[in-house]
This record gives sequence, structure tokens and C-alpha cells, in this order.
Amino acid sequence: MKRLTTSPLLLVAALAALVAWSPRAQAQDKAPELSLTAANQTFAPAELKVKAGQPFVLVVTNNDPKKSIEVENKDLRIEKVVPAGKTVKIRVRGLKPGSYVFVDDFNQSAKFKIVAE
Amino acid sequence: MGATFVVVLREGFEAALLLGIVYAYLAQIGHAESRRYVTLGGALAVLASIAMGVAVSVLSGPLADVGPDVIAIAVIFVAVVLLTWHGWWMGRHAREIRGDLQRRVDAAHASQQLWMVGLIAFTGVFREGAETVLFLWGLLAQLQDVSSWTALAGGTAGLVGAVVLGWLVFQGGRRLSVQRFFGVTSLLILFLAAGLFSAGIGRLQGAGVLSGGDPLWDTSWLLEDHSGVGSFLAGLIGYRARPSALEVAGYALYLAAGSPLFFPGLYRRGTHRNGDVIEPAQTSRV
Repeated sequence: MKRLTTSPLLLVAALAALVAWSPRAQAQDKAPELSLTAANQTFAPAELKVKAGQPFVLVVTNNDPKKSIEVENKDLRIEKVVPAGKTVKIRVRGLKPGSYVFVDDFNQSAKFKIVAE
Repeated sequence: MGATFVVVLREGFEAALLLGIVYAYLAQIGHAESRRYVTLGGALAVLASIAMGVAVSVLSGPLADVGPDVIAIAVIFVAVVLLTWHGWWMGRHAREIRGDLQRRVDAAHASQQLWMVGLIAFTGVFREGAETVLFLWGLLAQLQDVSSWTALAGGTAGLVGAVVLGWLVFQGGRRLSVQRFFGVTSLLILFLAAGLFSAGIGRLQGAGVLSGGDPLWDTSWLLEDHSGVGSFLAGLIGYRARPSALEVAGYALYLAAGSPLFFPGLYRRGTHRNGDVIEPAQTSRV
């Protein structure tokens, strides 16, 4: 039984090791910022271009006076609430070339696209 | 209205499932009177969600940028630890309870367990709580529009739907035989925790703490993970249409490490007396 109780500890240790090893990319601190605003259930601009492989920061301003939005892209594991009238920075890892659609999870008809090339 | 119904139902689904299981669990081990721990845990989580919602709307700067992510990820891993502990406890004590159908679990064992059950309720509700608060708040804030009233009605219906779901899980769980209940919930919690563990790894990748994140495979042609059945399975067992390599590895690792904890009987078979084991048939027949 003692042997069994160590397995969760091993899991935690494995995870900690992964975190320690992974390149915490100082480059991210110099990551370019891309701004975008949300209002009236739309994002502007509706399409943003980024360099493939380069991490960046999305600066999302929610200009709606009352409604919060949640910027979400399931594939990138990003879900971030931007409260009404607030600006929130979202870090995004370097992307493979392609286009990535983000939605407002609170109002799925509002979308924008990031094109990595 | 339909959209807000779905948003709230989806956010509340996991909490409802966990609360239903935990209430049924207390009824099953003969500690129904300890429900107040669960209720307290859930109620505190609602308060914490509101506080978090307020904090997110008031704060700005780096705290608002990173804070919610740190908390969200921490809550996920705390929930994994608690569920693992719970599963391990159930696995260890299943045989005692099995010995005498509705016999009360040893009081000392149970009381050691109760604050944990309250904590499970807390993490279950708090996990999606702050988001739901902000979402409903947005609806409440613009009640002058007629359309917002229907949206709010949808949100309320979603909340009621989640409560009904939890109630059904509770009623169903209570009616199962003790062994069946332990078998079914152990399996459910094992997969739920594996899914959470893998989701936590995914969030760490999304935040750039762990590297990688490109999908290992793509089953979205079969089942998307953000609509209908897919999102239900995502909440229940952590289904992902496009999982990263680390997420898959984490999921597999959790199942491998967790199943001997959750189902010790399966792994000790033959070395102990018959009465010591959970029948494998009963745990796999779900």
C-alpha cells in the first residue's frame, strides 16, 4: 500500500520537472503586442497577422460598458474573461502557420481570426 | 435565450455532477446528516466566485492578466489531488462497506473524510463559478432591454437545469447498491480526475509555462469537443478532439497511477482473502 501512495507524489514530481525544464522563454517578455477591441458583439480588427513560431501578446479591450466577454480558443487552451470596460493581456505561444479562430464564449457569434505565416 | 441556457448549463454541469455524487456518497456511507459540509463548501464557493468576479472586474494590470489563470490552474490541480484522495479512500474502504451492506463507515474514518468532501464541493463549484458570475452579471446589468430578460430567463433555466441534473445524479446514486455505487463513482471520478489533470497540463501549455501544445491527433471529424455531446464528454472525462502530446501523456499517466489507488482489489487479487477484494466484474460493468 505504501508503494501505491507514492504514485501521486511521482505525478507531481514529474510535472514539476517538466515545468522546470521547459524553456520559460525570456523571449516572451519581448513578445510583440497585438491590440484588438471588442464592442457591440464584434471584434476589431476581425483578422490579425502574426509571424509563425513567434509568441505574442493579445491585448484585448472590451469596450462594452456592461457585458463581459470570454476570449476563447479551445485548441490553444485559451479562455480568458475580459470584464466590461477592461483591458486584459493574453499570452499566446508561437503558432504553426495557419489560421486560428477565437470566439467570445459568452456570445459565440463574435469571432476574430489570427493568421500565422 | 437558447445560447445563455447552454452557457450556464455547461458551466454548471461539472459542479452539479460532483455535488450529486458527493451528496449520494454521504447517503451511501450513512452520513446523510453531514450534508452540511458539502452545502457549506458549495455555498462558500459561490461567495468566493462572486468575490473573484468582483476582483477581476475591479483589478487591472498584471494581476488581472495573470491572476485568474494562476487561480484557475491551481484550482484544477487541487481538485485532482482531492479527487485522487477521495478515490483512494473509497478504494481502501470499499471492502469494509461491502462486508455489511448499509453498515455505517467507521465514524473516525468518515469524519476524517468530511472536510475533504466539503473541499471537493468547493472546488467543483468554484472552478467555473467566477466565469458564470461575470456572465450572469453582464446579463443583469442590462435588464432595460427586452432581449436581456429572455437571456436572463435562459441563464436561470440553465442554472435550474444544472441543479436538476445534480439532483438526478443524487437520486440515482442513492438508489444504487453500495458496491455498485462505489464501483461506478470510482470509475467516474478516475476519468474525471484524469481529464482534469490533462486539462491542467493543457492550461499550463496555453499559458506558455510548459512548451509544446500542437495537437498529436485530430478527431474533430468524429466529434468536436466544444459542442453538444463533445462538450459533455469534455466535462465528464476530459475528451479533447485535438490533444497535445503532453495532455495525452498526462491522461495516460494519471490512469496508470490512479487505477491501483482507486481499485486496489484488482491489483491485489489472489494475495488476499476473497472478502478483501472488490469484484472486478462489478467495477467494469458500467
